[in-house]
Amino acid sequence: MIADDMRMKDHPILGEISKGRPVEFTFDGKTLTGYEDEPIAVALKAAGLMVHRYTSKHRKPRGIFCAIGRCTDCVMIVDGRPNVRTCVTPLREGMDVRTQYGVEAK
Amino acid sequence: MNRYEFIVIGAGPAGLSGAIEAAKAGMKVLVIDENHRPGGQLFKQIHKFFGSREHKAKIRGFMIGEKLLEEATSLGVEVRLDTTVMGIYKNREIICTKDDKIEHIKGDHILVAAGASENMIPFEGWTLPGVIGAGAAQTMMNLHGVRPGNKILMVGSGNVGLVVSYQLMQAGCDVVAIIDAAPRIGGYGVHASKVARTGVPFHLSHTVVKANGDDHVTSATIGKVDSNWKIVEGSQKTLEVDTICIAVGLSPMSQLLRTAGCLMAEVPQKGGLIPVCSDYTQTSLPGIYAAGDVAGIEEASSAMIQGRIAGAQAARNSGYISDEEFLVRVTDLKKSLGQLREGMFGHEMKGRTDIVKTEEGFTLSKSLLEKGYIDESELASFPAAAACENEYEVHPIIECTQNIPCNPCQDVCSKGCIIVGDKITKLPIISDTATCTGCAMCVASCPGQAIFLVKKSEDGSAIISLPYEFLPIPQKGDKGMALDRKGESVCEAEVVLVQSAKALDHTVVLSIMVPAKYADKARFFRAGGEKL
Amino acid sequence: MKNLQDRSVDMGEFVAMPDDDLIICRCEEITKGEIRRAVHDGMTSLIEIKRYLRSGMGLCQGQTCAKLVRAVVAAECKASPAQFELAQPRSPARPIEMRTFANEE
Repeated sequence: MIADDMRMKDHPILGEISKGRPVEFTFDGKTLTGYEDEPIAVALKAAGLMVHRYTSKHRKPRGIFCAIGRCTDCVMIVDGRPNVRTCVTPLREGMDVRTQYGVEAK
Repeated sequence: MNRYEFIVIGAGPAGLSGAIEAAKAGMKVLVIDENHRPGGQLFKQIHKFFGSREHKAKIRGFMIGEKLLEEATSLGVEVRLDTTVMGIYKNREIICTKDDKIEHIKGDHILVAAGASENMIPFEGWTLPGVIGAGAAQTMMNLHGVRPGNKILMVGSGNVGLVVSYQLMQAGCDVVAIIDAAPRIGGYGVHASKVARTGVPFHLSHTVVKANGDDHVTSATIGKVDSNWKIVEGSQKTLEVDTICIAVGLSPMSQLLRTAGCLMAEVPQKGGLIPVCSDYTQTSLPGIYAAGDVAGIEEASSAMIQGRIAGAQAARNSGYISDEEFLVRVTDLKKSLGQLREGMFGHEMKGRTDIVKTEEGFTLSKSLLEKGYIDESELASFPAAAACENEYEVHPIIECTQNIPCNPCQDVCSKGCIIVGDKITKLPIISDTATCTGCAMCVASCPGQAIFLVKKSEDGSAIISLPYEFLPIPQKGDKGMALDRKGESVCEAEVVLVQSAKALDHTVVLSIMVPAKYADKARFFRAGGEKL
Repeated sequence: MKNLQDRSVDMGEFVAMPDDDLIICRCEEITKGEIRRAVHDGMTSLIEIKRYLRSGMGLCQGQTCAKLVRAVVAAECKASPAQFELAQPRSPARPIEMRTFANEE
């Protein structure tokens, strides 16, 4: 699942979009590629992912909402740690990212 | 415990400007920001700013951000990122956290420049992935190079909604519609026109009823609202979108000021709860100042000036500058700030629906307020927008019809063709003595993209030069359609010239040839049969 | 003008509405109906609503919902939102783990 269609290569004002080095990471066990240092959520968005977690009470899907680390809707379990705000946490090689169910690292 | 003479909370335009002003006076300054990058919202702003030269007009937001940061660091300002201020305690002691550690820091003076947070409107399905804030769209596109979605519904027609819609198109997204529950567009008419001429429809008096989809947005249902904000029966329609962007205003992020115990006041025109401040940004607590959006929602240009006033005030209160020098500094700053607050969108006028004429007495375009584009019949009342005497000479047509503090068009014309004057909210007029050379600097420099060059030819054709900021850049010889202000095709067009010099700063000036009778209508170009 | 702290004021009966299950506090999943019902249970200040329902106590600490909760409460009391004081923010301004809070040099 390495889809790049959400990524922009070139921009009329910003020019060529430059990124760090490509790194592999896993999402729910599947291997994906992103760029080092970009927010985890960006790498997931580029891969076409919309759902980051399911809520505790009503088991509803949530994803990116504010994208600046304020709303906590994008939190996932990263390297075993729950409630990690994926929109402000930089991607590192080999990270293990999982869909979060509720508020714990289940 | 570390101690700083000046602690600035927030490294956005207000914070950095305050830090620079204080550092220039000799103060030891620490700037703290919870984000990974400084600059606040500046780095997401890829459009050219309004105002005048002193307000950094016609410069793109992110470049202003870069300059501020450079200046601050060169003055020895310490900037700590990824550092969150947890609270402001007695005697200006703060605790902040970074990397799983906390630290107590004491400040002689504290500038709270924490900015604002986005407002929201709840509707059925608003928690579905795919519903995002307008700021989120900007962050993803302009900071991280990723599109938030493919087909977007923009909810809100204030400046944020309009500007972000344009940016979404620049990123390659399809903005399906812009809606607003109000009957009038809230932001600058020129921002709306930029978007309308590409074909994006505006639906005023409409709100979003439901976001549809199982685990992410697959469509949006919108409906018309009556004067009681109730949905009109049978008015609902469903738009196929994968993203719903909410741009319904900002509120000051006042938590820190409130924990410190500053006196607050509810002022709706400024975004809600703001600190009660003196003229020089001083809050009710000695040594604590507030500047930028946290003190009242305005533009970045105002934030920078307020920040500087705060920095000067802190410097004066610490004895680094004398009272006289302080007055010299702030008198100019206050005058500059005053200029930005004038005009149709200034605090006093904001939200007023009874304004029907410009300061000059011209009738405001109703179509612009209700549909996002000026109706041709309304242009006749604006001298700079009407055709000039000799249409066979290249001449500018300026479709600037609302009083906004802005004058780069005047500054950028080396021949003095465009006149705004001392009061920068005045609409530009075209000099009847100067001669246009067709250099198109005005076309590229107008932050509202409201200036065009027109030249009719004896052979029955006309050349229209227009600003263009999308990819792919059309090439000379490309054929396509000319679109009118509404974004509808009016005639065939051929690209005859493409100008893209460094001085134009990424605004390409596209010259298209159309039959002369469409010279008053053609305002945008769509290549071949492609959709943008 | 109604004194909103006066608990003897009759709010009238709670009337169910079709949008009662609209989520208002996203973090704690508190619905519009729950907030409206709380007003009828006697909670007419925003701090009471917060303590009663946990709206504004989730991970975002009311960043998203504070004004929305106020609007629902104000509408139910048939009063203007400006008459309701937002709940007092307290330090820590952002959620923080206890181990971080205790990790001081």
